[in-house]
Amino acid sequence: MKLLDPRSMMAESDLELRGDGKAGGGLVLAFQSLADLMLGDASLHVQEWPFFSSARRGANIRSFLRVSARPIQTACEVTRPGMALLMDEAAGRSVDFAEGVPPGGTFVLNTQRSPEECARHYRLSGRVFTIAGDTIGERFLKHTIGNVSTYVAMAQAIGGFTREHTVESFVKTLKKRRIPELVLQRNREALAASFDEVRSGTFDLAGPGDHAPPTFDGYGELPVGAQTSLRLSQTNRTADYARSGFRLHFSDPELKCNGCSHCITNCPEGIILWRPDPERGVLVTGADVSSYCKLCGECISVCPEHLFSEAPYEEAWEEAEVRS
Amino acid sequence: MNSRDVAPQPLLNITPSGARYESVIDLERARAAHLPLHTERTEITADGNTAAAIASLQMWRCMIYPGFPITPSTKWIETVAAYVASTPGTPKRVKLLEAEHAVADYMVGAAAACRDLIFVTATSSVGLDHMTETTRSLGASGLGNVMIINVYRATANFPLCIEGDPSDTLAHRDDGFIQIVARGKQQIYDTVLQAPCLGMHPDVLTPTMPGYYGIKSSHRNARLVLEPDAAIGAFQDRWMAPCPLPGLINGDTAFGNCVTSRYFQGFKVAQKRRLERALELLPQVGADFERTFGRPGLAFFDAVGWPEKGEVDLAVVSMGPDFGTFEALRDAWAREHGMSVAGLAIRLLTPFPREAVREKLRRARAVLVVNQAHHAGRGHLTLDVADALNGLPVVPPIVSAFAGIGGADVSEATWEAMLDSGRRSLAGETLPPYQVFHEGRSL
Repeated sequence: MKLLDPRSMMAESDLELRGDGKAGGGLVLAFQSLADLMLGDASLHVQEWPFFSSARRGANIRSFLRVSARPIQTACEVTRPGMALLMDEAAGRSVDFAEGVPPGGTFVLNTQRSPEECARHYRLSGRVFTIAGDTIGERFLKHTIGNVSTYVAMAQAIGGFTREHTVESFVKTLKKRRIPELVLQRNREALAASFDEVRSGTFDLAGPGDHAPPTFDGYGELPVGAQTSLRLSQTNRTADYARSGFRLHFSDPELKCNGCSHCITNCPEGIILWRPDPERGVLVTGADVSSYCKLCGECISVCPEHLFSEAPYEEAWEEAEVRS
Repeated sequence: MNSRDVAPQPLLNITPSGARYESVIDLERARAAHLPLHTERTEITADGNTAAAIASLQMWRCMIYPGFPITPSTKWIETVAAYVASTPGTPKRVKLLEAEHAVADYMVGAAAACRDLIFVTATSSVGLDHMTETTRSLGASGLGNVMIINVYRATANFPLCIEGDPSDTLAHRDDGFIQIVARGKQQIYDTVLQAPCLGMHPDVLTPTMPGYYGIKSSHRNARLVLEPDAAIGAFQDRWMAPCPLPGLINGDTAFGNCVTSRYFQGFKVAQKRRLERALELLPQVGADFERTFGRPGLAFFDAVGWPEKGEVDLAVVSMGPDFGTFEALRDAWAREHGMSVAGLAIRLLTPFPREAVREKLRRARAVLVVNQAHHAGRGHLTLDVADALNGLPVVPPIVSAFAGIGGADVSEATWEAMLDSGRRSLAGETLPPYQVFHEGRSL
């Protein structure tokens, strides 16, 4: 496996980057800051843009970046990135963040895990950089947000930037957003702390066919009419929009449900489970949270008996999870 | 008290064309009150919405910004509002209204009252649709000082989609606006600066609708060169003579009185003549812009790969940022297939530059038109191109393609598949009336 050097890619053709994360997780800011950092070099051309839908905070989003020593005309999405970022491991449950990355590419992950663990789990071939960005975010910004740290990790993976320049470029992007000075200072501290927290390694664990871009086979039969029918699509899992690390919890051991049905009528996804009950009319027995619960909280707020709640759960970490 | 602090007293002057209140707007005071954003040429990183917002802010004739946010145009008004809120002493004001219809109505009143000032807003998709009742009237009103920046997004549609699809602007072809397509940050910025020069010209007096693709252009960051406000003002002053129409109008006269069929048609003929006058003036404005700032100015289209003389095998007609992907692969694809391939990225959408398009495409042996919005037939652009080619002694075959509907990605493989359709047409193959392409295949 020949390692692909990001700097050489920029000089010879273009370096393409793609990031996967969740809306509100700072992915766009990280890519915008990296674009600004690149533009510090007057000889480089940069193109940076996000992809997202009308879904709310928590939905999967993508960011793209192209850097080249030549003017960039290409406008299509990046499908074979030389560098891929996974900002949020929960986002990685529904997309293969490494899709299309050629062997020898660069992978950056916001995770507590080691580069070796990640390379094994995601079957990566190339350079793997990891950083516990959420922990650093929590420490300095009181918020589990990994964009500061992953930005630093990406800059290190590309190489050739001074620490000072790296910090100031990020802060410059924050200033454009009129962030208060106190928060800017906290970000500077988080940036400074990130430099020494980046771990890296080189691995060759991708099998043949791993991370191959999917072939488009047409749209198939799409439903006619009401938009709720789209829920039936296997690729429209609205549960992916839910806050990472939490899941709807229903508990009624004493059968307090009074049959008011508010949860059933207010659930926008129609996932409340119930059965007929001679006394109450209906008895709510739970909710199917497998695919469509996006934790909107409607059931939690309308239930007079407080039977619904948000509960934290451990993200499953399964060795066989990688999709190809 | 300084004499400049005393506003001149308005004088009511009844003219055959209406009541004119002289000196209500003291343009020199407006110009003097402008706080320049840039005093020298500056390079920044910006996305398309920011580029359009900065251009709007740098024009001293722009003082009031009515608006209502809608994705993907929201950042335009956010940027304008953030500047106004953080700039003490600026005379500029943002007027956030309750809906887009109100925005359009507000612009009518303000623009009619202050014909020498520019009133600009930005909107998208259903936002533009909400304005429709008023935009149709605006297009006929002579209010060339109104500019609606349209950030393209699939218009009122099922299912909802927030990405760049020009179906909104294409649904408003007949509103009476001069519609100009921009791609890339620099072109967006430059287009917003030039559009009012065209719209406010005394021979044109037609509102303008510069536009760019949502997300693909509105949210894409790249380098942007900003010109000093003084240079922008000097450029615009060369094109903006005082408006010959009354300056302040009351009540229903903003849109004129009701007329009978005896006159209605006549008004429409005059409106159309003014609109078509833009075809003569646009190249002049563009040439002056290029002389002034050293970058290409307004043009009917971006022409790529056309030889000085002679034919090309295949000509591609499209618009928007995806044309850039075609530009990037054109040479290699043409070499691989032993063909000459050229392209036109349409800039002036309305009025469609039929003559100029015909002059280019008559040199093509086949024409591939790429449409990016849902259409009942072969595609909006295809119909315009077919109209432009009508009457040629030999009309090249037109291959009609759709790609990127709803802002879908138009990948290199998709471009190659579309070009291959053009190649097959050239080889004499009969193709369907239109084809939809995605991810390198025809659906």
